[in-house]
Amino acid sequence: MKSKLVLFIVLISFVASGCASISKDQLVAESIVTQKVSDPIESINRVVFSFNNVFDKFAVRPVSILYRGILPEFFRNRIAYSLDNLSMPITTINNILQFEFGKAGISTARFVINSTIGILGFFDPASYFGLDSDYEDFGQTLAVWGVPAGPYLVLPFLGPSTPRDFTGLLSTSLLDPTYQVGNSANRDLFRSYRMGVGVINFRSENIEIFDDLQNNSVDYYAAVRSFYNQSRNSQVSDNLEVSPSINQDNLFNDFEEFELDDTYVGPDVSISYPE
Amino acid sequence: MQIRKILILALSFSLLSTFAFANFKAEEKFVSNFADNAISILGNESLDANQKNLQFTELVMSSIDMNLISKFVLSKYWKTASQEQKVAYLNAFEEYFISSYANKLDQYSGEKIIIVSSDAAKKFVIVKSNIVRDGADTLKIELDWRLLTRDGQTKIIDLSIEGISLIIAQREEFQSFLSNNDGNLDALIKKLRSINNKS
Repeated sequence: MKSKLVLFIVLISFVASGCASISKDQLVAESIVTQKVSDPIESINRVVFSFNNVFDKFAVRPVSILYRGILPEFFRNRIAYSLDNLSMPITTINNILQFEFGKAGISTARFVINSTIGILGFFDPASYFGLDSDYEDFGQTLAVWGVPAGPYLVLPFLGPSTPRDFTGLLSTSLLDPTYQVGNSANRDLFRSYRMGVGVINFRSENIEIFDDLQNNSVDYYAAVRSFYNQSRNSQVSDNLEVSPSINQDNLFNDFEEFELDDTYVGPDVSISYPE
Repeated sequence: MQIRKILILALSFSLLSTFAFANFKAEEKFVSNFADNAISILGNESLDANQKNLQFTELVMSSIDMNLISKFVLSKYWKTASQEQKVAYLNAFEEYFISSYANKLDQYSGEKIIIVSSDAAKKFVIVKSNIVRDGADTLKIELDWRLLTRDGQTKIIDLSIEGISLIIAQREEFQSFLSNNDGNLDALIKKLRSINNKS
């Protein structure tokens, strides 16, 4: 209970400090969704990253392969949908905290329909009614409130993050109503199920992608960092109503130089290489 | 006289707007043509893996601006590279690029590309599309195409999957590798070659 009080105070102070910047001002928004890579503790991050890869190699990946091998796709899809459904209440809370009341209505309707007609969320009839909802977490809400991401962090076991997203993650685990289901004994069980199966479900859907990235990257660490930053920026761009492509455009600024480069090898010059 | 002026003005405005409209329609058409061609190669059961790879590579290489992409991902290191390094890099990168999809073409399972909209972004045009699967699946992947038209030729510059730009990711990877290797371009070329030889 004490931790909740602390969280509440933290939240209030965030609201107070952030309120001034809850404007969908383009410049402010674009500064929050910066595409610049900030990684001042790269050497530490790389160590933690290597540790996580070992953990993944010997624990998460084998279990994910087993999971995918044993469970038929039909059942895996049911679990994926139920996990999606369980993430709807926290999405609703974040919709409200982002002042997106229309979206809060949609995510609530999704949860109600899929939990009932969709049999505890194992099916997704809501999508057939056109009720689509993006998942919102507290990290995104903080971004809407004007909190910048901060430097890139690799957390032990949890992987890529930023101070903003890590704060969001902590708050989510305390605020999420679906974490409060049942008495204290089976609450822990339920949490473990969601956390554990959530991780394995995600990992099992991306086995080939991660293998490929790991084997064919020039710099696997940098590739994951870029994917994480870009993916979060894209989600926050949606929240702030900034076009992610416009944001990416700034990175294309020196394109002109390459076009005008006199050493430019025209597309008509074929490059041969040994088979 | 006045009415004629207004009419001409109105006409030229409407022409202008249809012209602008048609402009992006051309880019949308370019993407849907590319997707149709790609799908007809990938979905062709009579081709073996090697033929698929060859035909797909031919299509990709004629549709993207490989040179611009190669230089862009190398960024500032391109400018200081020697002529030999440039040639070696372009070769190694092209092979690396091709090998990145070579073994995955058989994973195609009937996905379709639906064009959603198109928009100008500075000198580029972004065509937004969705990858959808047939059947009861509600899965939908956002795929954005960044196109550049130079000398009347439209080429693909970048693909963005769920907001993740592949060219930016590649650039960050190369920049990171180079800055961790004292900016030694030969080390990058060597690394690319070793990955190419693996696959």
